[in-house]
Amino acid sequence: MRRISVLFVIVFCCFAFTASAVDAQKLFGDLRTKVLQVKDYTAEVKMKINVSYMRIPQLGGTLYFKSPDKMRLERHGGLSILPKKNINLTLSNLIPTGNVSVIDAGTATILGKTVRILKVIPEDEQSEIVLAKIWVEEGSLLALRTQTTTRNEGTILMDLEYSKYAEYGLPDKVTIYMDLKDYKLPKGVTMDYDDLAPAKAAKEPVNKKGNIQISYLSYVINKGLSDGVFKVKE
Amino acid sequence: MIQLLRIELFKIFKRPRTYISFGIVTAITFVIQLAMLSDGKSFVGFALQGVSEQFDIHGNIMNGYLIAYIILQSLLIHIPLLVALVAGDALAGEAGMGTLRLMLTKPVSRRKLVLVKFAGSFIYTVLLIIWLAVVALFLSIALFGKGDMINLKSDAFVMVLQDDIMWRYGAAFLFATLAMTTIASMSLLLSAFADNSIGPIVSTMGIVVVLTILSNLELPLFAVIKPYLFTTHMIGWKGFFDDPVPYAAIWRSAIVLCAYTVFFVTVTVLYFNKKDIKS
Repeated sequence: MRRISVLFVIVFCCFAFTASAVDAQKLFGDLRTKVLQVKDYTAEVKMKINVSYMRIPQLGGTLYFKSPDKMRLERHGGLSILPKKNINLTLSNLIPTGNVSVIDAGTATILGKTVRILKVIPEDEQSEIVLAKIWVEEGSLLALRTQTTTRNEGTILMDLEYSKYAEYGLPDKVTIYMDLKDYKLPKGVTMDYDDLAPAKAAKEPVNKKGNIQISYLSYVINKGLSDGVFKVKE
Repeated sequence: MIQLLRIELFKIFKRPRTYISFGIVTAITFVIQLAMLSDGKSFVGFALQGVSEQFDIHGNIMNGYLIAYIILQSLLIHIPLLVALVAGDALAGEAGMGTLRLMLTKPVSRRKLVLVKFAGSFIYTVLLIIWLAVVALFLSIALFGKGDMINLKSDAFVMVLQDDIMWRYGAAFLFATLAMTTIASMSLLLSAFADNSIGPIVSTMGIVVVLTILSNLELPLFAVIKPYLFTTHMIGWKGFFDDPVPYAAIWRSAIVLCAYTVFFVTVTVLYFNKKDIKS
């Protein structure tokens, strides 16, 4: 009788785990389908770069995206500044494609909303993405946070907020967190004008973390974009 | 006083060497613009390598605003020399030609004469800075176009939007005029000490070069005296291209430069009043 009870518990656990895995796999599949329905978009954006060594005012412009990997910020005559691997600014490139293994990693709370945490591992060994961790709000089928570990670009953490374009899985605001490298030029070259105040600022530790906030003001979705839009004009 | 100033300006602008300064400013500006036209991309690539490791920057980086900034920076040492060419000659040149004694036989006080010489040098300085603005800024805009301006500091990458730049250049040129006026006043003082114009011109350059080196050396030994050197404050124009603009520091620098200018002119008047004019 005791053996039967133990066997029953084991079978139940296996069943529960399998059901959960299937559930997580389906949730991820649905999310991916929703995200990938956007083939291209043109968005009016405002971008704020919060990087300790960069003093840049809020930049406005038009952001063009075309699936799978084309992105460009047009600033109407001004300079455009995007993170080096700017394609990571879009969710569709932070979600693995192809066959994947999905692990249910439990639940968490983001901005008062309960979300499911999915760990996604691509089965393709050549995939650029090694591991993706996605915080999904099940009811609306929206990814509120992603943490993607890539082969060459490190780990990218991104928070997403939705409003008007939630049905397309397109965020109204994205915050991308990044690790910063040191920035230093010789003073003999730059000949800085110092304010000659006590050098307390120099002793303050340099913040090695930065973030970029992009507010999407409006989208034009799936209207078709030619590749010529993405040619960089120097 | 006005009549004296007119005569002084006539003398300054009648001399062919006065126009050498305008020619030199034009030549240096053309050379830098030509260099940037031919090889500007590699220059920008080198300057931006610290940033471009993590960020892609596209657009007209090498625009007229950036070129003008580079020109202004490179002329930091040259413009004082050009100012000294006239201000250093103001009194010493007259002494060298033997006309100073003759001038002082007229019913004009020595104080007035010094102030007129200073005013003449100041007007020349203003015209030189205006010419610099024309060739460095407006010609660069015509050649390279407009765009957002990047300003690379030793510890920061500053970007100024193009519709927020022109007032900064206006303020920077005003500040540069103040800085060069300080040089003119110092050169005038040295001119009062000498009987030929070579000495004051060379001395002015020597002082500017030595003090500029002291201002830029990052050694604790010089840290104490740096705030008191006028060369430290001469680059205050750069503050207008920072974000946020360090107004307090710029005001402090402007006050230091004004104080130096008043000091140099006052000492010149006091010395010249007692000077034994022999030629």
